[in-house]
Amino acid sequence: MPLEITLLGIQMPTLLPIFAAAAVLQILVDRILADAGVYKHVWHPGLFRTAVFVCLFTLPCLLIYT
Amino acid sequence: MTNTLVQPLSWKRTAREWLATDAPVLTYMAKATFAGLLALVISMTLNLPDPRTAIFTTFLVMQPQSGLVFSKSYYRVLGTIAGVGVSLLMMGLFAQDPVWFIAFFALWIGLCTGAGLKFRNFQSYGFVLAGYTLCIVALPVIETPLEIFSIAVSRFSEVIIGIMSATLVSDMVFPRKLFDSLLASERERFANLFSILGEGDALFAAGTETEPGSAGFSGVVGLHAVRINSSFESGTDRKARQLSGQLNQEYMHLSTTFHSLKNILAAAGERMPPEARESLAGLYAPVASVVNASPRTPVSVEELDGIIAGVLEAKEVLQTLVEEERLRLAPFLEADAYEAFSSASGLIVRLLGELHIHCVTYRAFLRHRLSGRASRELSRVVRFSTHTDSVLVALAALRGSGVLLVTMLFWIVTGWPYATLTVTLAVVLGLLIGTLPSPLAAVMNFFKGGVSAVAVAAVYDFYIIPEYTSDMLTLALVLAPVLAVVAWWTTQPRWSGFALGFIFLFMYQCSLDPYFRVDPTVFMESTLAYLIGIGFAGLAYLLVNFWSCSLTQQRVAKILRRQIVTLCSGTITVQRSALESTGRDMVQQFSTQGRLNMRSSRLVYTWLLSTLEIGRAVIAVRRSRKRLPLSAASDSLDGAIYAVRNYFATPSEQMRRMLLMTLKEAVAVLHAQGDSAGAAELKRIQKAAAELALIRTIMLSEGSLPVVTEDTCR
Repeated sequence: MPLEITLLGIQMPTLLPIFAAAAVLQILVDRILADAGVYKHVWHPGLFRTAVFVCLFTLPCLLIYT
Repeated sequence: MTNTLVQPLSWKRTAREWLATDAPVLTYMAKATFAGLLALVISMTLNLPDPRTAIFTTFLVMQPQSGLVFSKSYYRVLGTIAGVGVSLLMMGLFAQDPVWFIAFFALWIGLCTGAGLKFRNFQSYGFVLAGYTLCIVALPVIETPLEIFSIAVSRFSEVIIGIMSATLVSDMVFPRKLFDSLLASERERFANLFSILGEGDALFAAGTETEPGSAGFSGVVGLHAVRINSSFESGTDRKARQLSGQLNQEYMHLSTTFHSLKNILAAAGERMPPEARESLAGLYAPVASVVNASPRTPVSVEELDGIIAGVLEAKEVLQTLVEEERLRLAPFLEADAYEAFSSASGLIVRLLGELHIHCVTYRAFLRHRLSGRASRELSRVVRFSTHTDSVLVALAALRGSGVLLVTMLFWIVTGWPYATLTVTLAVVLGLLIGTLPSPLAAVMNFFKGGVSAVAVAAVYDFYIIPEYTSDMLTLALVLAPVLAVVAWWTTQPRWSGFALGFIFLFMYQCSLDPYFRVDPTVFMESTLAYLIGIGFAGLAYLLVNFWSCSLTQQRVAKILRRQIVTLCSGTITVQRSALESTGRDMVQQFSTQGRLNMRSSRLVYTWLLSTLEIGRAVIAVRRSRKRLPLSAASDSLDGAIYAVRNYFATPSEQMRRMLLMTLKEAVAVLHAQGDSAGAAELKRIQKAAAELALIRTIMLSEGSLPVVTEDTCR
């Protein structure tokens, strides 16, 4: 994948749309995990949420940079 | 000896107190400072042109509890996206045409100001942001329109960095959950409810008056906001939120029933002979005894099981008691007194029924929280409807657009290059402070904070930063004390306006650019421009905020009457919960925006309660009417509803007397019809008759009806 993409005629880093997509995905995953009661068994929910987001964001980024 | 005994105890208590009150504030100060500096360092590392936007954003979204930060951040992101999008659009369309540019600008600001008042909580904040992002993005590049893309991207990135820093720090470092405080307030509210219901004597004492929000029946709107914001936190699932919403709604119902009972007893004081009063006190005794026998703050499901069993038992006792007392008193009492008596006794029965439902929901809530097991009890999705007066919204929009047009005029007339700063600050203040209770005072505080900030910023710009900073670490160290103090101010409600002004001007006057640059002339001129902007905003509030107390009373009365009229003739799908939440939300908004004094806000609250009760009765009557076959009974019900509608559409003393008569006749017809009806039909007829009698009892006390009769604003 290219490092920069053009969206509606504006050139921007590919990371930006990936970031937005990861954020949306994270919100969905978070809702599902909360309704399933997973957070009751997690030691530090905030840390866990951040870690999930980092995973979701990093995976596609690795595809670009490797 | 005593000393050694007392010392460790008091030491422990001091420590506990410190942990409960001071430690959270200190933690918050540390967290806010850290988040702000993190945002500064990241944006400087990424070479963004204006790192102060990031740090400023951090301070705007930072809140003690994580749920609030997430919620505010979420709406801030949405608002910024909308604002940046509209800026790009406007520059694309009207960059060469100042007239259209200003007209569209004013329209957008007016829309955002109006929407900021119309919507609640942080949704309102989102609209505020959408409005003033336009000033931050479009105004600086108005002479060089092609730079709009780069400034839009960098502003957006800075805001996102600020938000990310705030949310990360608040959720990772000593997180404080909003949902836990929701649980605590739910517990406190339950205890309050029990202590109010337990005091039956106060209810039956002569001359009791309804006080607004007194006796713990308050905070419905506030707790609703807490629940909404807590949905952004991890670990609160849908079920818990649903249960909490349902608790809120049932609490509203209980509060209305209790206050109606209180009002009827107070109003019917003269008409009701002492024996009826005593009999009612006797009917209330089972309620008081079951409440007094229960623990005030039940913490376990078992305790609640006990309470629920007690309530059920009391319900059975009460049913038979009410029947007996009605039969016993019917021959002695006059028609009006008997009607008041049976309405009041009906309310007591309803109160106990609602208490039962509330306890069951509370048990489900506790069970869900304590054991995490999915409870079997059904929970409903309850909508909390809101109502905002369109006149208030229109005024706000007018003020927003007006401020922009006047400051733009100031810019055009003076031709001063710094006047864009005046426009920006006037618009920002017009948007940010419009939703606060006393905007003019807030602008004054903002001004004070701004002036103090300029003094501090001058010391930083001309002395501390050039003298002591050499890299980002030293800059962060030097800034930390100021940020910590600002964070402390934001935790103190009376300092909040001052803190806002301070952080705003400090951030924009302090030299926090990627490369240090400072110029005394620019410093002085921009300070002057900002201060003039605050002046314009203050003037706008002074001029457009003519919303007086008597005008508020007239508006509220009119809206409440219109609600009843709609209930009488509109569709009957309206739920009682929607009616209650709208009414409460509206009165809350009017009492913050409309400068009501104690006496008039008590009056408005009484109006609200009688409207809610009449509205509920109207819905019930119309539902019964729908299930009745066509007969004299259904005709008289139609006539009664029509009369109610007529009175509230054009209230007058003559109409009220006519309505009272119609209601009396309708009740008589219903009773006569009931003798020849079947069992199911009889029940419906009796229910409708009881509701009509209740309406009549409320209508008998003129003071509680939403009609402005005298000026209570003096």
